[in-house]
Amino acid sequence: MTTTIAEREVALIDLVDRLLGGGVVIAGDITLAVADVDLVYVGLRALVTSVATAEEKNVLPRMGSSL
Amino acid sequence: MIAVYAIADHPGPPLPGRVDGLRVVPAHRLAAICGDVEEREVSPNALWRHEEVVEALMEQRDLLPVRYGTRLRDEAHVVAAVAERHDALLAALDRVRGATELSLRVAAPPEAPTTGGAVQRIHEHLAAQARSSTLLDAHESADLLRAAYLVDRAGGEAFTAAVADQQRDNPELRLLCTGPWPPYSCAAA
Repeated sequence: MTTTIAEREVALIDLVDRLLGGGVVIAGDITLAVADVDLVYVGLRALVTSVATAEEKNVLPRMGSSL
Repeated sequence: MIAVYAIADHPGPPLPGRVDGLRVVPAHRLAAICGDVEEREVSPNALWRHEEVVEALMEQRDLLPVRYGTRLRDEAHVVAAVAERHDALLAALDRVRGATELSLRVAAPPEAPTTGGAVQRIHEHLAAQARSSTLLDAHESADLLRAAYLVDRAGGEAFTAAVADQQRDNPELRLLCTGPWPPYSCAAA
């Protein structure tokens, strides 16, 4: 979706929202328990400061993939 | 165990050559695109690797991304899982056909005045330009809004221009738009 490391950092929260909270559900095992997903979000909060820094530098994600 | 990445039409275009170990498991008019089971650890790199596979698949076809971490014992179980929800999955695939998902987060500095009305107006304005939209859980963050908009593949730039207009009209807020993404949120809604 994005190319540079800074852009990926900014987009990581959106990626986690999508992979862990989105997608169609079919029968079968989901590797992650709900508690695991919560832990991932707790870990993500630690990233918010660096994300804000990236935004201030105007290192914003942009349309760039081939989708 | 088999990991399931996405549900797509069957038959479909060839699998992308740059991703190893992918295989198609057909189930009537749909196919599950599967791969080897990924590591259990949830690291940013593991998530991005998964994302790269789904994006490579989506370059060539419409698809429904499957919830991350979905794994089944063998191909027979994959067929059964898709067959069980075949018609609902096909209808969901039809809804996202030809579209991608754009993500929007809206945040405000802590000292900002109440901005709920402005956030609602931004969302309504953007939703009117999208095929559909979904509000997401903000997961106890300070975000005032997390939303996903399903937009035609060709309409991505017009949509980001509309986001830029909303940012200009609402300088007290921070609008962060990323994408295009596979339709994770819009397919699940």
